[in-house]
Amino acid sequence: MKKILPVEELARDSRFVRRPIEDAISDPRQARLAERNTGSARLEPDRPAAGDRARQLMHGIFVGELQALEGAGRTTFDFTDEEIPFQLKLDMARQCWDESRHCEISVKLSEHMGSEIGEFAEATFLYEAACAPDALLRLTGVNRALEGLAIDVFNTMKEFGEGSGDPVLSACEDWMLADEVTHVKMGSDWLRRLTEDDPERRELALEFQRTVDKLFSLGGFRGETDENPIQLARRFRELAGFSTEEIDELADVTVEAQEEARAAVAQSDGSSA
Amino acid sequence: MTVADPGAPRAAFAPWDRRELPGMFGVVETARRVGNYKWIEMRLFEALGGWVATVPELDVKLVLGRQCYHHAWHAELWNKRLPELREMKTERLTQPPNDAMVTFVDALRDPEAPELTIEKLVGVYRVLLPRKIAAYTFHMNATSRITDAPTIRSLKFALQDELEDWREGEMLLQTLIQTPDDVARAARRQQELEELIRGAGGITGPGTLGEIDGSTEPSADAAAAAQEGVQEGVKVG
Repeated sequence: MKKILPVEELARDSRFVRRPIEDAISDPRQARLAERNTGSARLEPDRPAAGDRARQLMHGIFVGELQALEGAGRTTFDFTDEEIPFQLKLDMARQCWDESRHCEISVKLSEHMGSEIGEFAEATFLYEAACAPDALLRLTGVNRALEGLAIDVFNTMKEFGEGSGDPVLSACEDWMLADEVTHVKMGSDWLRRLTEDDPERRELALEFQRTVDKLFSLGGFRGETDENPIQLARRFRELAGFSTEEIDELADVTVEAQEEARAAVAQSDGSSA
Repeated sequence: MTVADPGAPRAAFAPWDRRELPGMFGVVETARRVGNYKWIEMRLFEALGGWVATVPELDVKLVLGRQCYHHAWHAELWNKRLPELREMKTERLTQPPNDAMVTFVDALRDPEAPELTIEKLVGVYRVLLPRKIAAYTFHMNATSRITDAPTIRSLKFALQDELEDWREGEMLLQTLIQTPDDVARAARRQQELEELIRGAGGITGPGTLGEIDGSTEPSADAAAAAQEGVQEGVKVG
């Protein structure tokens, strides 16, 4: 088996349909839909099509967990004993088990919500971040940026379960949220330990994290206003080791991402007129 | 009312406590074996983790993810045991028993393509895990239950996982092997890998199951311990 398995070689059964993340981001219909101004974009039970949106999000959680499992698994294999510490490998193996459980939970919750595997397309961005040749970039890109996004998503979904009177959904999301806080904290701890004497490397890794964070704020997908379906979960991020400054910086990044998306739509409108 | 005399002498060992001294292994030999155990557990959890992305069958993918951690945890148990056996630089003994074992592990971890799930699982569940179960069971029964009790405790934890994981993996394999061609593939793969691990002499090299003096025939003690191990293994599961 070779080291570093490219995203094109991720193995899937016939139910899965893959969609490049670039297609989703550059799809002008997304921003136009957001501009319809039907009120708050938050995922709330009384919003139009809330059920469909929740099912789509749950499917996204499932494929995200699947790729997180695959990414953590690859990190146990891709690096030799000399390249990464033994304890880091153990942490990645532990994360495999956690993500495997999250997949099981997501499959069962999808069925509970009336959906099924393959109903929505799979974007493989999480695994792509997990393929970085440097283990430190995997830790910042996946454990801090994307698992951080998972904290925001799970908290939003948990609140959706509470608001819609679905204790199964809210309880399961709460369990997964606990694991994600652990994974992010793991990423924060390893970032500190691996770069203790190398501030330059640390800054490079954090820059990669910021890039991933911006990319996955997805033109306003995540933020702190009514325009953002997924809300930043400040309290849980603090538990996971993020400083207030880091959370503020992420909030700024989400605003930037949203403004850039608006500008892209305006440009697209101008060029098609 | 009759009260037991607290001053009356009692034996250190209750009549039902038949633990004995000494065991078959000294500290050095135990550390060597434990180092081999840690090495094989590491190579196994890496393989399971690496394969997760390469198998299309969803149930297999999730089982590999779960079991990857079991073997990592075993590696951690052995890593903690090594300094207690006077090996402070644990990486020094985290070694394969010989080059033939490296060849076996390379062959075990070689399959990558998504259509090779049977080959991947046969290597783990029909060759390596049975060998590990045998080696751990032998060790558990051959060592002293007094002097080496900490190793035995870890062996019992590991064996519980190994037996449950082997059963789960074997059941997955039985659902994947559906045609005569699949049966032939599985048998071929098992034969290839059995040859290699036989050449290595087992998880800890020649003497894994008792042939410590290098003879081709196990000593009477070793044979008895191995036999006891078979019986004990059934009880652990």
